[in-house]
Amino acid sequence: MEKEKKSEPVSKSVLKSAKEEETTRINVGPSPHFGHIHSTTRLMMTDVLIALVPVILVSLYVFQWFAVKQLMICILTCIGTEAACTRMRNRQSTLYDGSAVVTALILGLSLPATAPWYVAMIGSVVAIGIGKMVFGGLGMNLFNPAMVGRAFVMIAFAGVMSASGYELASTGVDALSQATPLNIFKQTGAITPIYDMFWGVTNGSIGETSAFACLLGGFYLVWRGVAAWEIPLGVIIAVIFWGTIGTIINPESQWTVLHHLFSGSLLFGAFFIATDPVTSPLSAKGRFQFGIGVGIILMLLRSFSGYPEGMMFAVLLMNALSPLINRWTIPKPFGVKTSRIL
Amino acid sequence: MHSNFIDQVKKSNLGQAWLVLLLTIFFGGSLAGVQIKLGPVIEQNKINETLEKVPELIMGKALAEKMAAQQQLTDIRPMRVAVDYEGRQIVYSAYETRYQGKMLGWVVKTAGRGYADTIELLLGLDPTISRITGLYILDQKETPGLGNKILEEKWRNQFIGKSVNNPVLVVKTGAKGEGEINAISGATISSSSVTQIINTATSQLRPVLAADTGPAQIKNDREKTSGPEINSDKE
Amino acid sequence: MAEQPTTTERFIQGILPENPVYRQLLGLCPTLAVTANLQSALTMAGAVCFVMFCANVVISLIRNLLKPHLRIVVFTLTIATFVTIADRFLAAYLYGMSKMLGPYIPLIIVNCIIICRCEVCASKQSPITAAGDALGQSIGFGIALFSIAFVRELLGTGTLFGFQVMPETWPGWGIMVLPPGAFLTFGILLAGVNRITMYQDARKKHRGL
Repeated sequence: MEKEKKSEPVSKSVLKSAKEEETTRINVGPSPHFGHIHSTTRLMMTDVLIALVPVILVSLYVFQWFAVKQLMICILTCIGTEAACTRMRNRQSTLYDGSAVVTALILGLSLPATAPWYVAMIGSVVAIGIGKMVFGGLGMNLFNPAMVGRAFVMIAFAGVMSASGYELASTGVDALSQATPLNIFKQTGAITPIYDMFWGVTNGSIGETSAFACLLGGFYLVWRGVAAWEIPLGVIIAVIFWGTIGTIINPESQWTVLHHLFSGSLLFGAFFIATDPVTSPLSAKGRFQFGIGVGIILMLLRSFSGYPEGMMFAVLLMNALSPLINRWTIPKPFGVKTSRIL
Repeated sequence: MHSNFIDQVKKSNLGQAWLVLLLTIFFGGSLAGVQIKLGPVIEQNKINETLEKVPELIMGKALAEKMAAQQQLTDIRPMRVAVDYEGRQIVYSAYETRYQGKMLGWVVKTAGRGYADTIELLLGLDPTISRITGLYILDQKETPGLGNKILEEKWRNQFIGKSVNNPVLVVKTGAKGEGEINAISGATISSSSVTQIINTATSQLRPVLAADTGPAQIKNDREKTSGPEINSDKE
Repeated sequence: MAEQPTTTERFIQGILPENPVYRQLLGLCPTLAVTANLQSALTMAGAVCFVMFCANVVISLIRNLLKPHLRIVVFTLTIATFVTIADRFLAAYLYGMSKMLGPYIPLIIVNCIIICRCEVCASKQSPITAAGDALGQSIGFGIALFSIAFVRELLGTGTLFGFQVMPETWPGWGIMVLPPGAFLTFGILLAGVNRITMYQDARKKHRGL
C-alpha cells in the first residue's frame, strides 16, 4: 500500500519534468561538484591561483619581504610534505594537481607577516600532513587543510599569533608598526578609516588587508564557477544583518557595517577559505546555510570572544557541520511534494 | 537432611555473597587504618601549602629566607573573615602574620574569574590594607604561552609595593603611576583578571581587616574562628 | 581449556606485543590526561603499577573462591581499595604531584587495563604468574605514557623532567601541553607503532615462506 502511494508521484514527476524541461533549470548537487567547466582539479586550482594574484600583489606591496618570506616557506614546506606523504603511502604523486600550492598560499596569506619562520613551516606540515593526508588525501579531508594548519600554530604559538603578535616596530614597513584595525577597535575603540581598509594599507594577516583585492579575486572565482556564490553571499548577508542590528542598538558607534565587512579576514575567508569545495556542503541550499553559519559564528566571536577575529574558527566549526547540512539538504527528487528532512 | 541444609545455605544470598562481604569488611578496615595513619599528614600538607608562602608574601623573598635561616619564626594565625557585601556574606581565609607580637600584615586567599578558568591566588597585604606586599598564584588554567605568564615572578613582582587605596589598573606598556601594572603582551584579559580579583578582595576586606588592629578585639575573634578545621576552606 | 601462557610469556607479552595502550588501546583516559609532563606520567604509571600488582595478586589468591556472577564486584572492590591507598599515599608524601594529577588517581578504579588483567589472567592463574603479568603490563603502560609525555613535554615546554634541554630560545608549542596535543601525539605515535608492527609481520611471513 505504502509503496504504491509513493510510486505515484514519482511517475508523475517524470512526466512533469519532461514537460518543464525547457523552462526549469535543474540544479544537481552531487559530485563532481566543482562547477561544470572544470573537469580536473588542476584546472580548478589554476583558477584559484589566478584569483589569488591580486591578493598576493597587494600583500607584496604592503608587507614587502615579509610576505615573500612567509609565502615561500609555506609553498616549499607544503610541497615537501605532500611529496613525503604520498611517498610514504606508496601512492602516485599528487603534486601536479596544484592543491598543495593552493593550500600553502591560503595558509601563508592567513598568517601574520611577523610570524617567525617555524610558524609557517610547522603550520604547513600540519595543514598537509594532519589536515589532508591523514584523511586520505584531497577530497577526503573533513576540515579545510589550511585552517587546520593555522589553528594548530595559533594555539601552539599563541604569543606570536595573537593580535599583539602582528605588531613589529622599526622594520621600515609602515603597516607593521600599527595594530590591526579590529584590534585597535577592540582595545581602544578607535576607528581605522574605511578607505585604508578597502585598499589594504593596514596591518593584518598578509592576504586579508585589502578588501578590494579579495573582492576582485573573489568575483573571478565566482565568475569561473570555481567558488560557489552561495557561500560568500551567505557570509556577507549574515554579517550585514548582524552589523545592522549592532548599528541600531548603538547608533553612535563609528564602526559601521562596512567596517565589519572590510576588516579582518572576512572577505578573504568568505571567498577563498569557506568556498573550498571539499569541505563545504554539496547542494546550493546547503552552501547558503553554510555561509550564513560562518557569518554568524564569525560575528559571535568578534563581538563576544577574547579574539578580535574569528574566521578560522567559524570555518572549522562549519566544516564539522557540513556533513549534517548535507543530510538536511538532500536534494529531493524533482516533483516530490513532501520534503523528507532526515 | 544434612546435605539439604548445606545446599540451601549455598543457594541463599549470604552463601553466594560471603566473599564479597568478607572482603568489604577486610578492605574497609585496612582503609580505615590507612586513613588514621595518613590523614593527619595530608591535612598538614594542605595547611603547609599556604603557610609556607605566607612569610615570603609579607616580607619579600630575601628577608623571609634570611629569617627562616636564623630560625626567627613568624607567628601565623589562620582565620576566617566574613564580609558582608551587597547583602551577601563572603568568607575569606586570611592569615594574620606577627613577629614577636608586632603585626606584619595579612595574607588573603582569594579567587576569581580568569580568561579560561578560575584563578586562585594568595595576596600579601600590609596591616592597614593599603599596600600589596606580595602575590602568588595558587591555581590557574590560562592559555599556555600567553596567559599563564601570570605565574612568572617578574610579572608578579610588579605588584609589590603598589597602593591599593585606589583600584590597581592595567596598562599596555610603560606603567609608571602609583597603581599601574603592565599587562602581559597578548594576554590583557588574564592580566586584568588578576588585578580585578585583587581589587575586589582589597575593597571588601579593608573595612574588616584594617579596623582589626586593636589586640583585644582580635583575641576575641581568634577564639571564635581559629582552630585546625579553618584551613579546609573553600574546597 | 586452552593452555595458559607461562609467567615469563605473560611478562614479555605485556611490555610490547600486547602493550595495553598501543596494542590493546586500553586505559586511554589517563594516557591522554596526565602526559603533559614526564613527572606526572611516571607517577601515574607507578600508581597503576602498584594497584595492578596488588589487585592481581589478591584476585589470584582468592580465584578459587570466586563465583562467576559476582567476580566483577570482587574485582572492583579490590581495585578500589588499592586505588584509595595509592591516592592517600600520594596525598601524604607527594602532595604537589597528587594535586597536579587531581581526579586521575581516583579514576584508576575505572581503568580498564586493571580489570582486564584481573579477568584475563589473575582469576585463572597462580599468584606468581599474575604478579609477572601485572609487572609486564605496568611496564608496557609506563613505556606508553613515557613516550607520549616525552614528546609532549619536549615540544610543549622544551624541558624533560622539568630540566631545560632545548635551547633557551625554544618556542614552547603550547598546543602540546593542551588536550589536543595529547590526541595528536598519541595518534601519530600509534600510527608509528602500527607501521613497525606491520613491517615486522611482513618480514616474519616472508621468512616463514
